[in-house]
Amino acid sequence: MPEPNGAVPTVTLTIDGHQVTVPRGTLIVEAAKRVRIEIPVFCYHHKMDPVGACRMCLVEISPGPPRPQTACTTPVAEGMVVRTNSPMAVSARADILEYELANHPLDCPVCDKGGECPLQDYTFRHGYPTSRINAPRRHFLKPIPLSERIALDRERCVLCYRCTRYYDEITWDQELTADHRGADSYITSQFGQPLRSIFSGNIIDLCPVGALTSRVWRFEARPWDMAYTGSVCSRCAVGCNVTLWERRNQLVRVTSRQNDEIDEGWICDRGRFEYTEVNRPDRIRVPQVEGREATWDEAMEALLDGIQGAGHRLGISIRRDVTNEELFCLWRLLQGPCRGARVALEGRTSLPAPGEDTLLIRDLDCARAIVVVASDTADDVPIVNLRIKKAVSKLGARLLIVHPDRLDLDRWPEAEHIRNRPGEAAAAVRELAGHPLLQEGPVAILWGDGRGSEDTRELAAAVAELATRVGGRSMPLYRATNERGALAAGLISGVPDDLEGCEAVICYGPPAPGRIPASARFVAVWDLLLRPEHGSPDVVLPALGFAETQGSYTNLEGRVQFLHPVLHPEPPLREGWEVLCELGQRLKVREMDFVGIFQLQRAAARAIPQFAALASPPEPEPQPTPVLYGPARP
Amino acid sequence: MALSARAIEEIRSLPPRFPHLRSAVPPALDIAQEELGRLTPEAMTEVAEALGLDPGYVEGVATFYTLLHTQPLGRHHLYVCTNLSCTLRGAEEICHHLRRLIGVKEEREISADGLFSYEEVECLGACEYAPMLRCDGRYYYDVTPQKLEALIQGWRQEAGNGD
Repeated sequence: MPEPNGAVPTVTLTIDGHQVTVPRGTLIVEAAKRVRIEIPVFCYHHKMDPVGACRMCLVEISPGPPRPQTACTTPVAEGMVVRTNSPMAVSARADILEYELANHPLDCPVCDKGGECPLQDYTFRHGYPTSRINAPRRHFLKPIPLSERIALDRERCVLCYRCTRYYDEITWDQELTADHRGADSYITSQFGQPLRSIFSGNIIDLCPVGALTSRVWRFEARPWDMAYTGSVCSRCAVGCNVTLWERRNQLVRVTSRQNDEIDEGWICDRGRFEYTEVNRPDRIRVPQVEGREATWDEAMEALLDGIQGAGHRLGISIRRDVTNEELFCLWRLLQGPCRGARVALEGRTSLPAPGEDTLLIRDLDCARAIVVVASDTADDVPIVNLRIKKAVSKLGARLLIVHPDRLDLDRWPEAEHIRNRPGEAAAAVRELAGHPLLQEGPVAILWGDGRGSEDTRELAAAVAELATRVGGRSMPLYRATNERGALAAGLISGVPDDLEGCEAVICYGPPAPGRIPASARFVAVWDLLLRPEHGSPDVVLPALGFAETQGSYTNLEGRVQFLHPVLHPEPPLREGWEVLCELGQRLKVREMDFVGIFQLQRAAARAIPQFAALASPPEPEPQPTPVLYGPARP
Repeated sequence: MALSARAIEEIRSLPPRFPHLRSAVPPALDIAQEELGRLTPEAMTEVAEALGLDPGYVEGVATFYTLLHTQPLGRHHLYVCTNLSCTLRGAEEICHHLRRLIGVKEEREISADGLFSYEEVECLGACEYAPMLRCDGRYYYDVTPQKLEALIQGWRQEAGNGD
């Protein structure tokens, strides 16, 4: 893997007549991508170690042996000449494809992978039109549910082992394995038990055939019938990039979208599968006042009546995936007419606002030692957990854990685990400064709130002190999607939320500390669904889901990322910032009459320094550069 | 606990004798099978824990080797050689006879009394005594239908006496 410092010596080679200069150690398959030549692969994946199992990537190399060589395991060499479309390479690939299809049922018309299936595409581009293999095919019971969310079809499998290697290398949890290795190999979950890992969904994206498919998105749509946009996941503070897929104005699928700064192409099962709320038929679509449908105008009036004069007995509960734009509107309201109201954020930690220079997720790649304090990262920040695993198992960082319980990071045999008593993590951190594992920097310190068991103020001080003494940087592991944005807007602070005693409550999303306070005599709910914990509210306003709304999130490292809605809600559904602005105008707040979200974003960027990035939304992503293919057929 | 403390201890002592940790898996599984007769998921999990490996990996290894069994078998599992020498000397007839004797239709099927099962295997290295079979760690040479009958009868009696 090329180092970021650029000091790696380079090598120049020729691929199909194109000269290309790449860092030494680059594999031929990666070098070919630089000149837009796609060498077909099944087992090779750019985020995993090469194995050379499927032989799909055969090319001709000179100087070299007079046989086809695998482009996915051969590093480049100076003066090497690679030919992907010589007669030898073309027929080698076609022969391999003939074998890959020896047991394949060719049931593409009923396969969810059809249309985005490498096996299908490569067969068209590189395969023979017919097969000479006339032997009986392998048969298995199918589909086999690997979990509630993933189905396995062993007949379609080409045994590339991407899924088992992913589990082994990336998640450190070999829930999938190949049994009866040899001619009878098949993929199975460990002892036939259902998959439990929170990272299981990635094997659907990884599978280069239709062997692993989603049961949540089953027989819903063909890839070419769906519209999609690149957006950001709304489930936690990591801010993984995702692709949202729409069909008939329903959100039908969420897949990963590689961003090496954050997620490296992995997403967790929460982000992948917990999107169905937005499609529910019982969604709130019309405002209600005292159980009867009403217009927005009536509902707003009722809301204003209800909160009038509540003062500091007004409680505002905000959903975890509130956007920066909505936070800015709330900030304006709390500066003005709602001054003194109490605010709670759903599902958040009680970590204080971060210091100046926090660690970025990508910095974990360069860390020589990683300290994880008071957080089960697999649960709190799943994709950061995978980044820690990569830094430790592939890039040689040492791992030190301070936590009362056994964690999944303890699977690393050399991990050092200091078991503190719950509530005493700060004391344990104070003793770490001279630790032998932390002698070589850079040191990365990731710390959580122990799910409420730790005194976060004290822990913050201990972590800051440790960072100074060992020359490291730290990252507080927030949980709520836009917790860092809410901290930046000053809506919440490092103490736990409490709405008890509030007489009027506006509840945006699920109630934040778990329930509506018993003291509330007026409750307005603003959500996608009426939930049992909402009780019977006086006013109900329809809200938009993350796939429908414009706006942005600030992730746990402070990065502002913009949402790109794939669904287009119809009136009377309205954007959250529009509703808040109308509320502000009705409360006579000045400067809340924005004509559009861009104007609001520019105002937010001026008002709150951490929202400066809102002033410059990124350009839409460029269309991917087309790939050059060699001659298709032998 | 599926495995005895003694077996776990023996498995833990294996890794230093091998170049890689993973190389210790087959002998460890052998120890487990010796004790339990077959490899249950619990036993494989305990082997994995004793070696510090993942149960999924151990399962993959266990299902590869024909001499390691994850399915239940009869108390006496007969490995009948059907390689060249044995087949020339009547191994097929032995298998046919054995199936009738213990009342099973196919390999790895357990007899009604739970005592017997059999499988056909490749060369066990005793061609000079063909046809031969292996059971409970012992080789039986120059097997004939009569000898086989006597063997089975012996085991049946042994089981009957034990009751």
